[in-house]
Amino acid sequence: MNVSDMNDSAVNQARAMVYRLLSSLFAKEIDHQILHELTGEQAQAFLAQLASEPAFKQDIDTLISVLNTLKTDKALLELAADYCGLFLVGSKHSASPYASLYLNGSDHETPLFGEQHQQMLQFLKQSKLQVQTSFPEPADHLAVILAYVEHLCLNSDKTTQLNFIESNLNNWLGNFAAKVIECDSGQFYCALARLTKNWVASDLDDLKSES
Amino acid sequence: MKRRDFLKGLVSTSYVVLSGASVLAPLNALAAAGAKDDDVWLTTGSHFGAFKMKRKNGVIDQVIPFDSDKYPSDMINGVKGLVYNPSRVRYPMVRLDFLLNGFESNTSQRGDFRFVRVTWDKALHLFKDSLDEVQTKYGPSGLHAGQTGWRATGQLHSCTSHMQRAVGMHGNFVKKIGDYSTGAGQTILPYILGSTEVYAQGTSWSLILEESDTIVLWSNDPYKNLQVGWNAETHESYAYLAQLKEKVKQGKIRVISIDPVVTKTQEYLGCEQLYVNPQTDVPLMLGIAHEMVTKNLHDTKFIEGYSLGFDQFLPYLMGESDGVPKTPEWASKICGVSPEVIRDLAKVMTKGRTQMMMGWCIQRQQHGEQPYWMGAVLATMIGQIGLPGGGISYGHHYSGIGVPSSGAAAPGAFPRNLDEGQKPIFDSNDFKGASSTIPVARWIDSILEPGKIIDSNGSKVTFPDIKMMVFSGNNPWNHHQDRNRMKQAFMKLKCVVSIDMNWTATCRFSDIVLPACTTFERNDIDIYGSYANRGLLSMQKMVEPLYESLSDFEIFTRFAAILGKEKEYTRGMTEKDWLVMLYNDCKAANAGKFDMPLFEEFWKAGYVYFGEGKPWTRHADFRNDPEINPLGTPSGLIEIFSRKIAQYNYDDCPGHPTWMEKAERSHGGPGSKKFPVWMQSCHPDKRLHSQMCESQEFRETYTVKGREPVYISLADAKERGIKSGDIVRVFNDRGQLLAGAVVSNNFPQSIIRIQEGAWYGPVGPNGSKEGGAEIGAICSYGDPNTLTLDIGTSKLAQACSAYTCLVDFEKYRGKVPEVSSFSGPIQVNV
Repeated sequence: MNVSDMNDSAVNQARAMVYRLLSSLFAKEIDHQILHELTGEQAQAFLAQLASEPAFKQDIDTLISVLNTLKTDKALLELAADYCGLFLVGSKHSASPYASLYLNGSDHETPLFGEQHQQMLQFLKQSKLQVQTSFPEPADHLAVILAYVEHLCLNSDKTTQLNFIESNLNNWLGNFAAKVIECDSGQFYCALARLTKNWVASDLDDLKSES
Repeated sequence: MKRRDFLKGLVSTSYVVLSGASVLAPLNALAAAGAKDDDVWLTTGSHFGAFKMKRKNGVIDQVIPFDSDKYPSDMINGVKGLVYNPSRVRYPMVRLDFLLNGFESNTSQRGDFRFVRVTWDKALHLFKDSLDEVQTKYGPSGLHAGQTGWRATGQLHSCTSHMQRAVGMHGNFVKKIGDYSTGAGQTILPYILGSTEVYAQGTSWSLILEESDTIVLWSNDPYKNLQVGWNAETHESYAYLAQLKEKVKQGKIRVISIDPVVTKTQEYLGCEQLYVNPQTDVPLMLGIAHEMVTKNLHDTKFIEGYSLGFDQFLPYLMGESDGVPKTPEWASKICGVSPEVIRDLAKVMTKGRTQMMMGWCIQRQQHGEQPYWMGAVLATMIGQIGLPGGGISYGHHYSGIGVPSSGAAAPGAFPRNLDEGQKPIFDSNDFKGASSTIPVARWIDSILEPGKIIDSNGSKVTFPDIKMMVFSGNNPWNHHQDRNRMKQAFMKLKCVVSIDMNWTATCRFSDIVLPACTTFERNDIDIYGSYANRGLLSMQKMVEPLYESLSDFEIFTRFAAILGKEKEYTRGMTEKDWLVMLYNDCKAANAGKFDMPLFEEFWKAGYVYFGEGKPWTRHADFRNDPEINPLGTPSGLIEIFSRKIAQYNYDDCPGHPTWMEKAERSHGGPGSKKFPVWMQSCHPDKRLHSQMCESQEFRETYTVKGREPVYISLADAKERGIKSGDIVRVFNDRGQLLAGAVVSNNFPQSIIRIQEGAWYGPVGPNGSKEGGAEIGAICSYGDPNTLTLDIGTSKLAQACSAYTCLVDFEKYRGKVPEVSSFSGPIQVNV
């Protein structure tokens, strides 16, 4: 392994970690354990480093400041209610995190478990992966797609990553983020959605410039 | 390369940000090989018919009608949209303020508030704790778990049975009597004809086709309503309707549709329509009866031999008792049918064989008992009750009534009640002086006015003080009247639990919402044809329950386990054990008469057929010998005058059929100056009540700009500057809704139709998504029960009166809000 490979490997691990973090935060509500980890030293250092990039700073500051307010069970429940209203119920008045709802025209609520779900299952299968049984969601759920990019960061070449992100994530992420910003009654998920959008955009720029 | 440096900086911070598992896992061997049973066709059934489904890549791919269904309903095209609906209830959820404050929560914003996901364990414990609290603080009169509805098909997983058995193991509760569909009919007819009639098998269509000269469809649209059945519907009735169409064409049978509007059946058969003003069928019937007596057309022999009380009715008919002879001229002024036509009808109906077929709509109005009673009197005067192709039927539009029964024994079902010897944990039967059973449509009255005493079918009902309600597979925020009254009532409830598959309005107005899987995510068996009993269907699981939804069996088995009663609940049997037992019991009951294979063979084949039944005539045995085969009335005869009802001394339901003015009535009746238009809210053409409304792709085959259609006459449309495709605001003093205009020749002036079952989707002022829970909020989709009147039909049945409803409407010119009905609970900024 030469120096360049080592650099690449380190960078990809870092990228994978960011995707993993974003996937986890979209996968479920913040509970005591996640809160504990996110407010721990390691995560704070990680987030601080991420925030050194100006495009991410404001949203990371928001995330950190919201996390710091979660001192009581009630505060956690309020944030869980934000999560629920955005991602767990309905579609039109919320920001359901399924690719299919954003890729098939804005007025039409496509039934779930359709084409995008099948496509993702194929990708996963090719990579010898599947969605955890403890995560009973369609495979075109944002958390699944982000977790798959995490996997690609560590296991595939840049062109594969670029193609996947462009045609399965970046093509709807903007609309999704806009919907979160429109519907969120709090600040956390707005910031998270914006951060995700900005992160993916910057990651794509890098991949393009490097490939 | 600056960016790479930035990323390397990230690496240096830490390799572990979150220790939790990824949502991805290595592909396990089974999944890698691909599901073995993929790409297969399985048999199942539903209210909409039996069908086959193909599973591909783990999801339902195709739905095609069952081979033997020659007249499938296109509603099966909506099935996939139910299963994969974006508004599925995905996880157990609790309204946040209820989670925080329980019975002391702020209920004023129920229906418009925030939910959080909880685990099944947490949700079921919360459910149990709430039941504990209501039983401890208020006793059984505080809990109403008896408001039940159409459920999904299946003998094992029937949601009503599961919920009531499990909740019943915890404690006693208030129950309902009657139903919204036929509340007035099923209460009055036992007094008159000795059975509910509405749910009784009717004379076989083949006999009607052979023997009838005239068929009178009275407010009856079988071609529309026979698409759905209580069990998997066979649609065999349509073959008979096709023959009837041919006979109408050949002039062999005259079919008269007495109805204010051109029905789907009338259009199909190409038959005659006799227009009658809404809610005035009784005057029309009285006019016909008067003419029969005047011209001596009635069958006095039959009246004498088979009925009781004509003598007490006659003075009213002829005007001797009240000074108002019910002449065709008198009737004409009210019902809008000319005296000549009324006279002609009396002649036509008494000449040759006449089969009267009543629909259910006209008994869903104030005094809804009367048209059914008077219909029976007319049929008695015609004298053909008990003859093939004659008499009166109250159900030929329902669940295949009129298709001969095979005679086979039907399978049993999962028990709704506790087994013998089982006792609830809270075994008190102290309803604190209140009634333990209340008329189905009076539960909102009960919540709003606890302690009030009302008359009901010869008894007194004292309204219980209801504090908690449990709904399972039931959406009263569709079928009950007057949403604004419902909102007031729901504010008084301490706890509401809903178990359903998609976010109905009832779920949205609940505190605890539990996700049930659909019919297609569990194994079951069903009767094929509720009345034909043509055979048994296997309902084979197509896919595993989606998200964290569970079958009703599983939900309440877990709940029973929390009560420490799991074994009592399941009798120690699994889903499979139950299916085998229900099947084998049925097989044993049919032994020697109908051959049934072993369970495994049946399951593999998908069905077992019992063959066709023999033609049969309703009331023929009574006609043959009324002494040996009396009716179930007090006298054993048809009761034109009911001494029992007369003794009740009800001003709104006297001892014989009577015309009484309505609280509101169009065409010159009370209230018609302010709100001139009658709104009918009949059973839908493209849904089963509210089932299937959420299936978007299918819904889009009939909506107008995404709204429920409102059918409007040409004259009304012109007067109000409305054209098809416009959005219309329909309103009265009770509420308002938006709907999409369909201008149609089938509707006369001052009559509109909005089919019931349109999902309630209230939005706040100026169409904002907040404020939908407020009194007066506009329904963005077009639920007609936003506007209907919430009163009992009379002191007798106390049934729903949705058809007594006046409105007005206008072209909507405001900012059009998004439809909020299908979006789950709406997040509100706090």
